[in-house]
Amino acid sequence: MLFKIAWRNIWRSRTRSFVVIGSIIVGVWAVISLLSFSSGISSSYVNSTIQNELSHIQIHHPEFLNEREIGLDIEDSQAILTKVKKTPNVKAASQRTVSIGMVSSSKGARGVMIMGVDPEEEDQVTNLKSNIKEGNYFGSKKRNPILISKRMAEKLQVKMRQKVVLNFQDKNNDITAGAFRIAGIYSTGNNTFDEFRVYVRRSDMNRLMGEENLAHEIAIFLNEPRELEMTAGALKTISPNLAVQTYKEISPEINLFESQLQISAAIFMTIVMLALIFGIINTMLMAVLERYRELGMLMSIGMNKSRIFFMIVYETIMLGIIALPFGLAAGYVTVRWLNKKGIDLSAYGEGMQEFGFSQIVYPDLQSEYYLQLALAVVITAVLASLYPAWKAIKLKPVEAIRKI
Amino acid sequence: MAVIKTQNVTKVYNPDTIPVHALNGINIEITQGEFTAIVGPSGSGKTTLLNIIGGLDNPTDGYIEVGGQDISKLSDNELIEFRKNNIGFVFQAYNLIPVMTAKENVEFVMLLQNRPQAERDQRVKELMEAVGIGDKMDKRPSQLSGGQQQRVAVARALAPKPHFILADEPTANLDSKSTANLLDIMADLNQKENITFVFSTHDQRVIDRARRVITIDDGLVISDETR
Ligand SMILES: Nc1ncnc2c1ncn2[C@@H]1O[C@H](COP(=O)(O)OP(=O)(O)O)[C@@H](O)[C@H]1O
Ligand SMILES: [Mg+2]
Repeated sequence: MLFKIAWRNIWRSRTRSFVVIGSIIVGVWAVISLLSFSSGISSSYVNSTIQNELSHIQIHHPEFLNEREIGLDIEDSQAILTKVKKTPNVKAASQRTVSIGMVSSSKGARGVMIMGVDPEEEDQVTNLKSNIKEGNYFGSKKRNPILISKRMAEKLQVKMRQKVVLNFQDKNNDITAGAFRIAGIYSTGNNTFDEFRVYVRRSDMNRLMGEENLAHEIAIFLNEPRELEMTAGALKTISPNLAVQTYKEISPEINLFESQLQISAAIFMTIVMLALIFGIINTMLMAVLERYRELGMLMSIGMNKSRIFFMIVYETIMLGIIALPFGLAAGYVTVRWLNKKGIDLSAYGEGMQEFGFSQIVYPDLQSEYYLQLALAVVITAVLASLYPAWKAIKLKPVEAIRKI
Repeated sequence: MAVIKTQNVTKVYNPDTIPVHALNGINIEITQGEFTAIVGPSGSGKTTLLNIIGGLDNPTDGYIEVGGQDISKLSDNELIEFRKNNIGFVFQAYNLIPVMTAKENVEFVMLLQNRPQAERDQRVKELMEAVGIGDKMDKRPSQLSGGQQQRVAVARALAPKPHFILADEPTANLDSKSTANLLDIMADLNQKENITFVFSTHDQRVIDRARRVITIDDGLVISDETR
């Protein structure tokens, strides 16, 4: 019965109810759109870091990431690789030889991280191959090909097929040098990353190092990234003496970044909800004051305070529940549309690229957020209804009736 | 048997600022089956008296017994409960819930009492026919005339079988034809079903229909005649 009265009461003042419903719809839509945008930025950053650089999980000698010395390699890395590939949820894995060194042309020299990769396996864990803008990805059989970034090519003033020289330490801590021919020029969109990295074949690098099977790093790409921690756990049991780390552990700024976005999302959500709360309180107070005499009559003939209270609460919740599907749907459609289209941020691209963001953001939002938002709206409605409902039960029936 | 008994009931509004002595010691007794008018000029205290008898307001002093129960010291919530089960109200206007049909309005208090559906349906039908609007069951109050609305209000007041019906100037907003009509129905219910009616008025045509007339002025009973 209370539901019936509450429902009909909503439609007494249609305009007013539609204003409330409309503002909830707009609020929900705005929150979804903004969340999807920041979530799009976040995942583009995380994804590009995973795809260009880290992959999902990496295995190293426990000291390697701190010291980066040639000797801190993975013992028996080929055997470990085989076991890793058999672990559930592992899609692909690739070994790398890593060294800090110097690349020089006739025009200049720069410090770099030299990555020795196995071309075929590497292609399954990062998208280096698709980042090639000129030339090709270790296509020719010729010796000592090297991939450098576009930015590096500019700095060293070199072009395709020209030679550069790599200097780095070999196994005996002597400096070794090798001439490499530029086979491809890549660009990931992340300038900091590009400026610091060159790729060669692991076999070429190991030959110069003087140890054929050397590997410092195994990069692992997963089928189901959501099971990251579980898979990392499984990998730890395979290689108990090595450091198995997820991309979040290797790159703590990803975590920081994600939590920062979550905080700003929560702040934004709170602001919108607060605005809605005050709007709803205002409207429901008006509805209560307008029905002062009627509420007095209801109390006179025996409707008790808790029923009056809940009637007002239900009315408010109903407004929220009517608005919710429209707000969620509007938000969903907007997100799908923006996701398909992408938002071009190239106007701000210069700055963004420095930090590893891609220029086009594809907003997206996980379904959990829709649920959270639905819950938040219902809670908002309940909170907003309390004061008007309390006002309603505070009225004295005699006074209300006197006004008749 | 007395259904209503007041002893030295006084009411002072705004005792702390500008006190208004609305009732100055009312002693009346109303028995089952009466058809009684409370009469007096505007401001004499009729509404105040009816509100106190009906448990809508507490007296400043004195004692009220309704159906044998002292109600002068009940809390707000106890009073609501008491009114629901014991007293039928008909006000001057705004009696009905605008979003509900005539039938739903009559049924309302019985719903608050959690009476079973079958009982409600039968009683609503019976009462709506008794007040002559059996054909207006599904009309909203706004679709009814003032007289019809007051008849729905009478049916609503009667539905939970209260001890008595209190009506504060029930005809004040009605034309003379509707007034006569409503009084016919009330008198009829009083005679046939022995329902106690207490109503206030200052309309001579209404006073003429009452069987007992209690006149008050300045918060005091100045005459009480039964005819
Ligand atoms: N809430 C109130 N506050 C102050 N004075 C009131 C209030 N209600 C009624 N009064 C005063 O009490 C007296 C009796 O009023 P009322 O019972 O309404 O008389 P009636 O119904 O006979 O017109 C009047 O003088 C009126 O002004
Ligand atoms: Mg009055």
